[in-house]
Amino acid sequence: MKRAAVQTWEIAQRDLVQRAKSKAFLATSLLVAGMILVLGPLIASELDDPPPYRIGVVGTTDEEFTAYLEVAAASFDREAVIERFDDLSAAEQDLEFGDLNVIVVDGSEVIWLEEESTQLNSIVVVALQSIERRDVAAELGLTPDEAQSLLAPPTPGSRTLREPDPETEPRRIGAFIGSILLYMSILMFGQFVMMGVVEEKSSRVVEVLLSRVRPTQILVGKVIGIGLLGLAQLALLGAVVWFTLTQFNLADISLADIGRDVIVQVVFWYLVGYTFFAVIYAALGATISRQEDMQSVALIPVALLLPGYFIALLSLEDPNAMLSRVASMLPPTSPLVMPMRLAVGGVAAWEVAVALVLLAAASYGLIRLGGRVYTGAVLKLGPKVRLRDAWRAAAQ
Amino acid sequence: MLSLVNLSKRFGDIVALERASFDVPAGRIVGFLGPNGAGKTTAMRCIFDLVHPDTGEVLWGDAPVGPAERLRFGYMPEERGLYPKMKVGDQLTYFARLSGKSRQEAREDAAEWLTQLGLIDRTDSKLEELSHGNQQRVQLAAALVHNPELAVLDEPFSGLDPIGMESMAQTLRDLAGRGVGIVFSSHQLDTVEDLCQDVVIIDRGRIVLTGELARLRASARVRHLVIEVDELPWSPDGDDVTVVSTLTGDRRLLVEPDVDLDALLVAARAAGTVTRFSFEPPRLSDLFREAIQ
Repeated sequence: MKRAAVQTWEIAQRDLVQRAKSKAFLATSLLVAGMILVLGPLIASELDDPPPYRIGVVGTTDEEFTAYLEVAAASFDREAVIERFDDLSAAEQDLEFGDLNVIVVDGSEVIWLEEESTQLNSIVVVALQSIERRDVAAELGLTPDEAQSLLAPPTPGSRTLREPDPETEPRRIGAFIGSILLYMSILMFGQFVMMGVVEEKSSRVVEVLLSRVRPTQILVGKVIGIGLLGLAQLALLGAVVWFTLTQFNLADISLADIGRDVIVQVVFWYLVGYTFFAVIYAALGATISRQEDMQSVALIPVALLLPGYFIALLSLEDPNAMLSRVASMLPPTSPLVMPMRLAVGGVAAWEVAVALVLLAAASYGLIRLGGRVYTGAVLKLGPKVRLRDAWRAAAQ
Repeated sequence: MLSLVNLSKRFGDIVALERASFDVPAGRIVGFLGPNGAGKTTAMRCIFDLVHPDTGEVLWGDAPVGPAERLRFGYMPEERGLYPKMKVGDQLTYFARLSGKSRQEAREDAAEWLTQLGLIDRTDSKLEELSHGNQQRVQLAAALVHNPELAVLDEPFSGLDPIGMESMAQTLRDLAGRGVGIVFSSHQLDTVEDLCQDVVIIDRGRIVLTGELARLRASARVRHLVIEVDELPWSPDGDDVTVVSTLTGDRRLLVEPDVDLDALLVAARAAGTVTRFSFEPPRLSDLFREAIQ
């Protein structure tokens, strides 16, 4: 037993080290880390307070227009910055370059770049109306206060049942990025397992191995070794994500904390999900002898993974929809859907327990099944081995 | 000593082995010979449990062979294969580790074998960067890196040039000298006959001849007679003479042990000037032919 464990660990180490040196692994690691560093700040800035509206003012304008604009903008929780231009063409140029959001000419014309912004249009219109109201009130001999009370709209009292959770949106975005990472990791390292199996078969080295170890030892060693490499990559990418998030200080939420929660979920569900899919990849890999045949066979686990990925995306919008709840508990969709529901929140503990028990049972069955297919197929060279033949061969 | 006892194996309708038995004693070089498809690879795979025999067993000493015993054997499969992109030294260390050696031992064994095969300066080269001949050497080293007590080599001479064959033969002689039992298969009987001490000849799954080569030769019914005559054509008469080779200027004749040599020599002289007249033991292919008759 001890000897078998030492051999299996040796196989795991070789697969881990050799795959870590491969160009495919190094390239994807660098690419994804780079993407996080570039895209992270962009996504985080979306969560930050929106930038002020920049309003260009040209021609004769009432002196109080600026003040009215600021008041109107404030009622929408926005800021307005007013810039005065003597020349319309200079203002239009700034609008063209995106330095302005809108131009107001002579207090009577509003110019947009392509289409008007409903919110900004309201702000401008309210400011213009305020000036007009002030003038009409003056003509009628009303004081500003009298005019104000005459035109004030009714103000019904309002309250909310609960405080809005400022973390909901960032969690959703974190879970979305997490689902991509999770899907990518299971797919990529599952395929590495398959590549390893096919390489050993096509290079014929598997017979040299099998004179020393059992087929299941090769299978388990490979799944462990490449799984650990995937874990290392996720840890690295997680660290990059966390580092990126610590660079942003938002008023009332800690992005780094949310990022850490999502990363923990992704890592845990990667481990259980990867094990399940890696065995499928290994068993299927053993049925072929040439790298060229990998493309078609590799589609099978992808077909099993994709529904989970799409349901995971749907779960971000409505984590408690019936489809999401069921898919988060059943393999093969559970490893992708459950962590997304957990990241958004509101999942009962029993649901997680059911998902884990079912996945563990399915993985155990699959290791038995996949192990047998692997054993029966791995020494059969030549054309694609049919699953049924592999199953029978293992019995001999 | 390794013993294969009454191994039988069928693949569907094909009989790969039928009650095949033979021994590989320590320190002996056993040639496991027979035509392609005779069952050699199946028998060798049975030793490593890569094929489960339908009946029969494989013994090491008196005990059945299990995973622990197999780690004391070395195996070179007919389908050669190693990791193309892995460094030669790492590769051998890995196989020694899988055979139960400690990290330190495995590294030392790998270096020792690479030194012995003249490849120590290629330790850090990837396998695919080596020449074909050197890859073959590494393949042999992969089978033997853990210094096994038994070496099972499936067609070790196939694909080797004459220099490679001689160096392979020398390696096997050295191993046997150290007490390692060696069984190797070959379908080219005559190219390996100088190397074998014992032979096991198999045909269509059955062992047709087994024993010490020298003794088998001595007891053979036929002898080889090589006669070279400068004039052609010439053919001897007689029921006890069969022409087996008709190369120009060389008559290789199969003769009964009690043939009248004087009469043959006289007949040859009558045909022309005799430049060679030599009496030789039978070749392995002759023994094989005789055995399957």
